[in-house]
Amino acid sequence: MSEPILEMTDVSKRYRTAGGFGRGRKGFLAVDGVSLHVERGEALGLVGESGSGKSTLARMANGLVVPTSGTVRTDGQDIARLGRRGLRRLRRNVAMVFQDPLASLNPRQTVRQTLENVFRAHGETTSTAELVALLESVGLGADYLGRYPHEASGGQLQRVAVARALALKPDLIIADEPTSALDVSVRAQILNLLADLQRDQGISFLHVSHDLAVIRLYSDRVAVMQRGRIVETGPSDEIFRSPQHPCTRALVEATPEAELPA
Amino acid sequence: MPDPVLQVEDLCVSFTSGGVTADVVRDLSVRLDGGRTLAVVGESGSGKTITGRAIMRLLPRGASARGRIVVAGREMLSADERELRRARGSDVAMVFQDSMSALSPYLDIGAHIAQAVRLHDPSVTRRAARARAVEMLDRVGIPEPAGAVRRFPHEFSGGMRQRAVIAMALVNRPALLIADEPTTALDVTVQAQILALLRELQREYGMAMLLISHDFGVVGRAADDVLVLYAGRQAEYGSLRDIFEQPAHPYTAGLRAATPRLDARLDTGGERTRLRAIPGAPTSLRDAGPGCAFAPRCGLADQVGERCVVEAPLPTVRPTSEGGGPHLAACHLDRLPALKEVAR
Repeated sequence: MSEPILEMTDVSKRYRTAGGFGRGRKGFLAVDGVSLHVERGEALGLVGESGSGKSTLARMANGLVVPTSGTVRTDGQDIARLGRRGLRRLRRNVAMVFQDPLASLNPRQTVRQTLENVFRAHGETTSTAELVALLESVGLGADYLGRYPHEASGGQLQRVAVARALALKPDLIIADEPTSALDVSVRAQILNLLADLQRDQGISFLHVSHDLAVIRLYSDRVAVMQRGRIVETGPSDEIFRSPQHPCTRALVEATPEAELPA
Repeated sequence: MPDPVLQVEDLCVSFTSGGVTADVVRDLSVRLDGGRTLAVVGESGSGKTITGRAIMRLLPRGASARGRIVVAGREMLSADERELRRARGSDVAMVFQDSMSALSPYLDIGAHIAQAVRLHDPSVTRRAARARAVEMLDRVGIPEPAGAVRRFPHEFSGGMRQRAVIAMALVNRPALLIADEPTTALDVTVQAQILALLRELQREYGMAMLLISHDFGVVGRAADDVLVLYAGRQAEYGSLRDIFEQPAHPYTAGLRAATPRLDARLDTGGERTRLRAIPGAPTSLRDAGPGCAFAPRCGLADQVGERCVVEAPLPTVRPTSEGGGPHLAACHLDRLPALKEVAR
């Protein structure tokens, strides 16, 4: 069996808190001894309430947040041992899509500049044809190359953000609430796009969301976080059919379905 | 029939900027009785928030409303400032999505509620108003209300803050509560609690509620009737049952199909389901042509032909289930085909 694309072992993150509000001098333990892995080609869904530590955990997976303890391996390599160049290589393989596309794109750059910069940062050049093909793979036409972020809708911008993540052919995409800021009718388009990328290009996903229905639709396996710990993990179908941990059960029960009340 | 708590007739809201006037809401009519909840569902640009604000007469600068809005017998559009002050709080109150911006960081929670009491009735003493605040916090389920009145907004969690805002809005027993995405910023477990609380208080006070939401899940839990807006116009109106079980507008059906469901994969025997997405993005009335604003995104427009592009459909009567109220849809198609053909 090949190595998992992402393997986190006993990872913790403690944030120092200014002024010692509430949690005292020891700081705030956002992630508390978590181990998880993502197999190649797999979509792992990470759910939990706000403050459960899921975003911190996701950011540790690509080195945006440095763990206080524990190891993070991508592709078998311990990312704490990577130098500057190693980290750069890591970020080719592990791309990220954020919640708010407008905030994650530079308002003063056209889509072309945004995409070209990704290649430039990794010492590569690119052609217009390649950029057009990239946009087409996320369902956008060539005319978007000349547009600025304010000239596109939220759904279109999120497609641009996905194109940027895809530019260097990553093995793993970490998506942190990628559809939470989008309109309902547009959210489905982006979810389908991400599902297609996993199926057609074999890209692995770590999908962070507070929305269980989204995670259900989208993930092979699910990990449930509560107060910095993973309290339940398993195949998506099993977790939703028979949630074991009280936290998972509460989440499943509270999720409003677009159904008539019984 | 008793007089409705809220009656809106032919409401149009327009914005003027740089000498150009454009409608954002057009020809909206709503009737809402006491004790009932009407959900207003829509996406960006649908006009759902601006409609709520028009009812409160809280429109932003440059916006103006025409038509007729009657709240508890009071004509809102012709009311002067003094009348409006009297109406807000006692006839109609509002709860917003972001509870932090509805509260002053410099005042404790008790001061917010006491202020609402004394604005409404200046003869109430400070001490009595403060006592009302404690009572009200207790009623909305805040533990240790006597201590909680002295706490400041930042010391509350999001859910507790929303409870406090609800206490503030309901302390004068308004006939109508407008709740604009009241649970959107909250975790699902807290969301369920807040919706339950709103329903409970509504029953107790017999008030009418206008629930503005983008989420059919929330609507299914709380609404009696549903108004679906698209690009500033009424797309469909009906009882919750009719809207969910026999939607008559392709947009309503498409929105439902595009919403992920928890049991999605159980239905399909483990196969991964693709959502039926609606192509394109929501538009506003400003960008819509003379025809149906939804036509460019509609999978059924081809079946009707040119009429969808040149003529905006008016709401017409649709079949209702037993005991259901009026069911109206603004679509040139008389009948929707099975759901799977609705979105392309």
